[in-house]
Amino acid sequence: MKFKLIKSLDVAGLSVFEPVVRLLWGEEPKVQIKKIGLYIVIPLLVFISFLLVWDFMGPRHKTKSGEVPTPKVVLDAYKKIVLFHDQEYAKLDDYNREGEDRVAHLTEVESRLRIVRDVLGQIRIALEDAENQFQEKLAKYLKPYQQVVAEKQKDYQARKAEVEGKLITWGKQLDVNDKEGKKDYIKAVALAKREFEKNEKHLKVLRTELADKKINESPELVTLRLQQTKLEQEEQFLVKRISYLSRANRSLKIEAAETILGDQLANLSNAYGDEGVYGLTLNILNSQERIEKIKKSSYAKPPTFFDQIWTSIKCVFTGFLIATFIAIPLGILCGLSSVFMASMMPLISLFKPVSPIVWLPIVFIIVGGFITNPEEAFISPAFLSTAITVALCSLWPTLVNTALGVASVENDHLNVARMLRLNLWDRLTKIIIPSSLPLIFAGLRISLGVGWMVLIAGELLSSSPGLGKFVWDMFNNGSSETFAQMFVVVFFVGIIGFLLDRLMVIMQKLVSFDEAVSTL
Amino acid sequence: MILMAYLELSSVNFGYGPSANRYEVLQDVNIEVNENEFVAILGFSGTGKSTLISLLGGLNLPDSGQVLYKGQPVVGPSPDRGILFQNYSLLPWLTVYGNINLAVKQVFPEFSNEEKKTYIQKYIDMVSLSGSEKKRPAELSGGMRQRLSLARTLAMQPKVLLLDEPLSALDALTRSVLQKEIINIWESDKRTIVMITNDLDEAILMADKIFLLSPGPKASLYKEFNVNIERPRDMDSLNLNEDFNSLRNQITACMVEFFQSEDNDSVEIELPDYQPAVFT
Repeated sequence: MKFKLIKSLDVAGLSVFEPVVRLLWGEEPKVQIKKIGLYIVIPLLVFISFLLVWDFMGPRHKTKSGEVPTPKVVLDAYKKIVLFHDQEYAKLDDYNREGEDRVAHLTEVESRLRIVRDVLGQIRIALEDAENQFQEKLAKYLKPYQQVVAEKQKDYQARKAEVEGKLITWGKQLDVNDKEGKKDYIKAVALAKREFEKNEKHLKVLRTELADKKINESPELVTLRLQQTKLEQEEQFLVKRISYLSRANRSLKIEAAETILGDQLANLSNAYGDEGVYGLTLNILNSQERIEKIKKSSYAKPPTFFDQIWTSIKCVFTGFLIATFIAIPLGILCGLSSVFMASMMPLISLFKPVSPIVWLPIVFIIVGGFITNPEEAFISPAFLSTAITVALCSLWPTLVNTALGVASVENDHLNVARMLRLNLWDRLTKIIIPSSLPLIFAGLRISLGVGWMVLIAGELLSSSPGLGKFVWDMFNNGSSETFAQMFVVVFFVGIIGFLLDRLMVIMQKLVSFDEAVSTL
Repeated sequence: MILMAYLELSSVNFGYGPSANRYEVLQDVNIEVNENEFVAILGFSGTGKSTLISLLGGLNLPDSGQVLYKGQPVVGPSPDRGILFQNYSLLPWLTVYGNINLAVKQVFPEFSNEEKKTYIQKYIDMVSLSGSEKKRPAELSGGMRQRLSLARTLAMQPKVLLLDEPLSALDALTRSVLQKEIINIWESDKRTIVMITNDLDEAILMADKIFLLSPGPKASLYKEFNVNIERPRDMDSLNLNEDFNSLRNQITACMVEFFQSEDNDSVEIELPDYQPAVFT
């Protein structure tokens, strides 16, 4: 058991956790604890310090989408994403519910809504109180500052009136030809004007200072506000659910349409002569069509984050499979024939460095030429062109590695094939391919990694409803909340990429024959 | 009636590399092997022994001269002439069973699944690898690998068995066990065997005839010895056998000759003519 676990960890490339397993079986505890300290605890500490640095640095940079979110904000954003996902699926289920199930859910939701509204009412009252208290407190706090400003303003106004009055009187006394006197007068007025302006400026400064003066809202007020928003959102959600469980429910819609149809049928059976048998029949047919349509309809659920992840994974594997089906046969041919290799080389060298950002628009247009009606196509052109772009960018490592693997099959193994007079097919399937499998899988591993990276960029451009589109939508939304949700994507892309890589490592280890994996 | 050789090399030349920088390995080699004969080819390392085996096996074709099998020129490899490769050449991704199965499926495609299973098992048992059927070569010891390689070659039921230093990589104990095993197989199921070796005792112990190659490059057949010692031979008693000792001395003498002739070719270094000082 212990060795099986250790072996599995090794195959999965997680041998860091080997000491934990050994410790659990009580093997040399001191050595294991030291290893755990060195290879698990220290990396963990580094990760934590990364989070701390992030937490410290984030709020210090202001953007038009708010501050750079801290880890806590990102976690909250993730919770929001999950909530949205759960709610949308609840609505989807509600739309499809019928019979007793529907009624049961309806009563449940309605009772919940009542509770929510009750609590919400209480919170609103409490919030009003708290708000009033806060305003009072704020007013009290601001009062001295306001007084200072008011006094200053009064002072300055009095001073201004006084100076202006003096100047006006002086002006009246000036003689027509008193040039010197007028000169002095100009100087005096200029001086006064400057003083007024200075005072104005000072007042302005005082006013802005006053505006910046505030006291923190009490924590109760903040929590009350948060609770209120949360409950209001839940209320909205519950109201929506009730509508999908009642008016907008599919089974009810069908029922209603069927009642109409029944009436129409009754009308038709009684109709004759001038009563428009033709029109009644048409109505019946239309009703029937409508019922069929409703039966097929489903709740128009927007893709949630997890739906988008799933789309992305499907997309990357579609592209990866396309790449594999192109790269492995081509690679085998390259490895078998140096002439073929030489003739492929210009193409490989030319296309290998091309960026996905260039491929995507080209592929998009070409695919668009094949799929003229995207609404009815069995595969969305955006999805397909992203997958093809992934394939175009990720097939090279597999191609090159396969060619290398096939070209470097050991001569001894080929001699065995020659001695046995294996035909070309047997030589390929029994000697050459098995022997190059480890290298092929090494290539596939790199390809999948490249594909995953290309995918996000591709989806961002093509609007295929995956993670890339999610990022793009969040970017265009531009609120501080969506800013934080983009950080969530970073972690998901990283974790999924890591898991995909592990998957390939495991497969690579399983096909590599040098290590005795068969004992697993 | 002229007895035609079963397997024959007639004035064979073989070399590697472009004509400008050619490395001649074998020059004018003539060897004849009769049917059901056990022949050992003895030579120093680097005398082109392995090249000789691949020529006999048909993996390489001679530059000039001919390799004849039953009077017909050899144009390529064939399961008829099974080669036991020096480095086992086992397929590491196949199990013990799978490695033998690959050969059996190719040589006896007419076998039913049941027949094939018992047939393969017979050869696994023969080289005493029973119980390791599901192991891969990487999990086997060197001796086990060589035995597996032997089983694979034998399972092809070749008319001629070409053994390329089959025992040189093994420890002395495993080696003597396998020597006995090969001789047993040969005695119970007569066939032609050409074995390459660099061990004189082994050659005398096992073979009917020994070909001694001159050292390379441009190696060639130097001398041919018949071993007329009664079978079964046993290493312990052989040491006391006069025929054995005389044959051994003869061959050793020949081999020493090579070294001396090489010495003759080497440039003689003039030694300074110093005389010890005499103090009286």
